[in-house]
Amino acid sequence: MSSRTTISRITAIGGLSTAVLLAATACGAGGPAATSGSAGSSTVNVLVEAGGHAELTGVAEQCKKETGVSANFVELPYDGMFNRLSSEFSSGNVSFDVAALDSVWLPSFKDAVQPIDEVFTDEVKKDIFPALVKEANVDGHFIGMPAWTNAEIILYRKDLFEDAKNKADFQAKYGYELAAPTTWKQYQDISEFFTKDGMFGTDVKGGVETEWLAHVLQAGSPMVLDENNKVVIDNAAHKEALDFYTSLVKDAPSGAAQVDWAAAQNLFNQGKTAMTRFWAHAYRQIPKDSPVAGKVGAAPMIAGSAGVGAVPGPWYLTVPKATKNTEAAKKFVKCAYDYNDKGIESNLGLASRISAFEKYQDKAGYESFKPLIETLKGTATATRPATEKWQQIVDTVLVPMLQKAVAGGDSATLLADAKKQIEDLLK
Amino acid sequence: MRLAERTTHDAGAPAGVPAEPAVHTATRTTHRRRGVNREGLEAGRRSTRALLWVLLAAAMVLYGFPFLYLLFTSFKTPIDTIAVPPTILPREWTLENYTNALGRSGVLASFVNSVQTAIISTVLSLALAVPAAYGITRYKTLSGRIFIMAALVTRMVPPVAIGIPLASMMAGAGLADTPIALSIAHTTISLPLSIWLMSSFFEAVPRDLEEAATVDGCSRLGALWRVVIPVVSGGIAVTAIFAFLASWNEFLFALLMTAIRSQTTPVVIANFQTQFGLDWGSMTALAAVYSIPVILLTLLLQRKIVAGMTLGAVKG
Repeated sequence: MSSRTTISRITAIGGLSTAVLLAATACGAGGPAATSGSAGSSTVNVLVEAGGHAELTGVAEQCKKETGVSANFVELPYDGMFNRLSSEFSSGNVSFDVAALDSVWLPSFKDAVQPIDEVFTDEVKKDIFPALVKEANVDGHFIGMPAWTNAEIILYRKDLFEDAKNKADFQAKYGYELAAPTTWKQYQDISEFFTKDGMFGTDVKGGVETEWLAHVLQAGSPMVLDENNKVVIDNAAHKEALDFYTSLVKDAPSGAAQVDWAAAQNLFNQGKTAMTRFWAHAYRQIPKDSPVAGKVGAAPMIAGSAGVGAVPGPWYLTVPKATKNTEAAKKFVKCAYDYNDKGIESNLGLASRISAFEKYQDKAGYESFKPLIETLKGTATATRPATEKWQQIVDTVLVPMLQKAVAGGDSATLLADAKKQIEDLLK
Repeated sequence: MRLAERTTHDAGAPAGVPAEPAVHTATRTTHRRRGVNREGLEAGRRSTRALLWVLLAAAMVLYGFPFLYLLFTSFKTPIDTIAVPPTILPREWTLENYTNALGRSGVLASFVNSVQTAIISTVLSLALAVPAAYGITRYKTLSGRIFIMAALVTRMVPPVAIGIPLASMMAGAGLADTPIALSIAHTTISLPLSIWLMSSFFEAVPRDLEEAATVDGCSRLGALWRVVIPVVSGGIAVTAIFAFLASWNEFLFALLMTAIRSQTTPVVIANFQTQFGLDWGSMTALAAVYSIPVILLTLLLQRKIVAGMTLGAVKG
């Protein structure tokens, strides 16, 4: 067969295929159009981060049964979601009727979403953790309904803590009983005690900032900015928290500057660390074939001088101003509150209502819930500062500063430098 | 017909070396005796050959290892995928990751969308690049030179800078969340490269061939279709592969422009990394499956690709 004949055939096949494909592109293979529904439609498009999809699946099923509102989920990876939201909100043409937003994005998108004050009755507010009620209220209006929340708690190796020899040795060395830590001092002692024979007492995460910020709250200061948006990162509480944080480096695996959530979780699940401060959902995600499966205990986050404190990690359901389907969207948001406990039965196993967590807290497999509730109700627990620049502050100032600190930098100097950089960013 | 076959040989395709002049053969024999490497790995000193083989093997390992590691990870159990330190081979082989990945809702649809988008984008890219490149190389005008430089400059713009406005434009045109919108976006990525590639292939075709075809009664378009296109068919295959790959693996535009009905597989693969953890097993399993069509396509067009690569290196 000559080249020309071959080309003619390829061209014919290509042309035919293209024509068929072009005809098919009118609908795509994934289902119905993802444009904001028309007014009065009973179907809503819900934009959600990939990990949160399962959280809302049970809610969606129940919502369809009870109210007739069905949901199509637009699932996106976390790293690209902010760009997608920015793109659609700025164009005024949205492909979704409900968007699940990370709490740190609320200040950035506050002008693009509708108030949902009518959903926040007194009864509702009583059943949501106080820090979340406060965060959902931006400029005097409630703009997001927490769909699920999380917080760092202590996960520890129950088998090691209950070992008779370890108990006796610890008692002899430190003068008190070995148990899940409740204070900074105990956390330091236990970390030191278990750092031997190729094992480490804890991890130190230089690649993420939230854990250090939790210690700042425990030390009695607001995180980075005070209520008047004044930069307070160089105050005594921040330095105290940073010194505590870096004091654990000697009892943690090397390369702390690069350790992030995934690395810390791996280290713990592999049995390399005796304790970790980690998001509560991780308790239920320990692989069944992990050497630590069935050997892990959970406790509330440790306390500093201001008490137990953590930075909650909630996601809020919001209704864009640009949606044409406001009524059904708000019904879905209400469903997410009414059937909030459905999320607990998903892989992630989280909710946002206090009553939902309490309903499961005594069930087997949900041992992390009591410590989570106690942490979320902690006296020092607070949400991140409500500034549009927060993510920028984290990425360009806080994480680089922490990486230098865990590598041995002088805490006072680093905090002073960080203050100047943040002030420049906020100008 | 004969003209086309003859020109394929003349243009330097590797197969076209049937009748070498005697003087060349004699020279090569002399060089071989002196141990000079004239034919790559098949000739020269044994030590040189060994060194070249070692370098080649090292390069293969360097390029192949990430894919092999991905492949092995797709057969690991969950705890093996996050082992510290990591292991190369699975301690226990399992197909569970493939079951999980392929059983996830939307995966099959995303495959169909990826195929649709890549084919349309490739056809669009070729349909525009072939005449553009032909015109630039044959007419050699100032505007042609400016055009081809401008096409190159568009490659230097970060895709994210045009991704968001492009997504807004597509939504404004009523094409939100459609494979055709994504195909057009992908064509903007592959078109400049396609024009440059095709230009180099057309440059390699001697003008004498077209003139001969014209003398035989062909119009300019007839000469292009009957003579030039068959000669550069290897180059078109190479260009098509690059255009197809550019669309097949593209992530950013797919992330910004697709939602429910036109989401492609790279976005679905990325969805295994969530804020709450990374499902390495399922992610690598889906990535391995997704790479199969590209590997098959490359194998299928291997001869054309090799011919095309060589074609671009020979001037008429």
